[in-house]
Amino acid sequence: MTPGPRVSPAARRLLLAAGVFGPAVLLEVGLDRFVADSSVRQLVMTAAINVMIAASLNVINGMAGQFSIGHAGFVGLGAYAAAIVASHLHLALGGGDPTFAHSLVVVPAAVAAGAAVASLAGVLVGLPSLRLKGDYLAIVTLGFAEMFRLVLTSVPLDAKSGVAGAIAKLGGQIGYSGASGQGVPLYAGPLWVFGAASLIVVATWRIKFSGWGRALRALREDEIAASAVGVDPTRYKVTSFVIAAFGAGVAGALSAIMRDGIGIVQPDQFDFRLSFDAITMVILGGSGSITGAVVGALFVTFTVKLIELAQGLDAVRLFQSEHAWLDLNALRMVLYASVLIALMIRRPEGLFGEREPLFARKPRGAAPAGAA
Amino acid sequence: MRTAHPTRPEPQVADGAPLLALRDVQVAYGGIHALKGVSLEVGKGEIVAMIGANGAGKTTTLKSIARLLPLAAGSITFAGQDLGRLDTESVVTAGISLVPEGRAIFPNLTVRENLEIGAYGHRDRRAMGETIDDVVQLFPRLGERMKQEGGTLSGGEQQMLAIGRALMARPSLLLLDEPSLGIAPRLVQDIFAAVGRIAESGTTILLVEQNTRLALAASSRAYVLRTGEIAKHGPSAELARDPEIRAAYLGG
Repeated sequence: MTPGPRVSPAARRLLLAAGVFGPAVLLEVGLDRFVADSSVRQLVMTAAINVMIAASLNVINGMAGQFSIGHAGFVGLGAYAAAIVASHLHLALGGGDPTFAHSLVVVPAAVAAGAAVASLAGVLVGLPSLRLKGDYLAIVTLGFAEMFRLVLTSVPLDAKSGVAGAIAKLGGQIGYSGASGQGVPLYAGPLWVFGAASLIVVATWRIKFSGWGRALRALREDEIAASAVGVDPTRYKVTSFVIAAFGAGVAGALSAIMRDGIGIVQPDQFDFRLSFDAITMVILGGSGSITGAVVGALFVTFTVKLIELAQGLDAVRLFQSEHAWLDLNALRMVLYASVLIALMIRRPEGLFGEREPLFARKPRGAAPAGAA
Repeated sequence: MRTAHPTRPEPQVADGAPLLALRDVQVAYGGIHALKGVSLEVGKGEIVAMIGANGAGKTTTLKSIARLLPLAAGSITFAGQDLGRLDTESVVTAGISLVPEGRAIFPNLTVRENLEIGAYGHRDRRAMGETIDDVVQLFPRLGERMKQEGGTLSGGEQQMLAIGRALMARPSLLLLDEPSLGIAPRLVQDIFAAVGRIAESGTTILLVEQNTRLALAASSRAYVLRTGEIAKHGPSAELARDPEIRAAYLGG
């Protein structure tokens, strides 16, 4: 037993909750007041959304040991569903500027819709994972994400009836900008975005160290051995897909309606590059580590922004105009790859491996007699 | 070892009836007929061995008992219950645990987590703590390594962990698949001593072992498998003297 200040469990929980969710409240009050530049606010909120994306992908790719490269599909479904629900609710509530009071209705409804639609897709994508492994499963997940995107972009926009008509209302390649076409109402302030990010991180944390998470990780290590102790692979694999899709749906929903967002949902926001970024976040931080997913998400978000800022510099623009063949966006990928390769050489298990360095884990169950 | 479990009734077997009975069990992988009709019986409290060459169907027999393989024909009954109707999870909760071949532990989970997951089918925190104590008493080396990852253990220790994990469900019947495979001879002694102690506490054991000498010494009865069929069976001491067995498996 480590000596320490005596705090009752209830007080500890309260302190922990305040530590986890306090910043969300503070940011709600303070972000707009103290950060004048809306692009910086947007960046900070995008970082929180990426934390959700990485933490949820970590459930499939890290804990369950499946390899999904179609996470963007779930994010996109969540974004579209939330944008539709939010903009219709917005009209029903009388339009105008989004108010905090209205956000208490609109945001939960939109997020619930996004999460529900994405979870449903999670079941559909999770089912093939029972029969497919490794590369083959990865292809299915990628196929799902691309199907989602291509269905949206390839529908004829003049279609009026049936399924095609319904999809055409989503704006095809141009994107969906609300029921009225005035832009998706941006209801989700920092409280919602950071609150949801905290909730998802805490939830995946609880999953990892529960009996459920232990069974999931056991399944990843050795399927036969896990079945031999009675873990049912079917149930766990599909459920892990659903949980991850749920988290991605929440992230997508909030990205569509977040304050300082762009007010339009476009298919190309959810192409394979987003999936690729999400995988980078997870692998960079350490597959299976929640700390790693958070750090990876922050790292990737801010690095991308730095590269974008660098692209805007005059010197770089000049360079670009002289060498028009050079695709700087593609260079970003090269930079990513270099970071990943360097990291894989130096630390094949990612920054944190599967560990959670900031938090010592309390052992569960009775202490064994012979244990030190 | 405590064998009774608060969440599972002790299997009841009538006098003279076997705890486990296989009747004409057939298993096919694709086109290969791995088991062509295996019948065997294991009585309560016995240690029964299955010996035979590679590919004779020993592991397949164990896996079919644990319901990890579908049966093509035949029946398996455990304490009067038809296992053919159950899934693996229910087989474990009914009291049968398999120690898979090649000590399939979970390398990135700690020793403690490996053990905890063995109690998966019975969610009873107190019983779990007690069984961990029992396993540590049986294998003190594991107690010293509770926080280590399973993959950092030596081969012998991993085998101990795999057996310990199976014991976490407090099985009435323990299926052991090649416990001596690839393990230092000194540790093999320890492991077989532990198997003896597990049996003394009342757990029935069905043992598959390539090391025929060891298998016949540790068991009271044995079955010899050859290309998916039972070629011979009888008391282990008799089989150890059988000229044919000696020539085929004991090096003359």
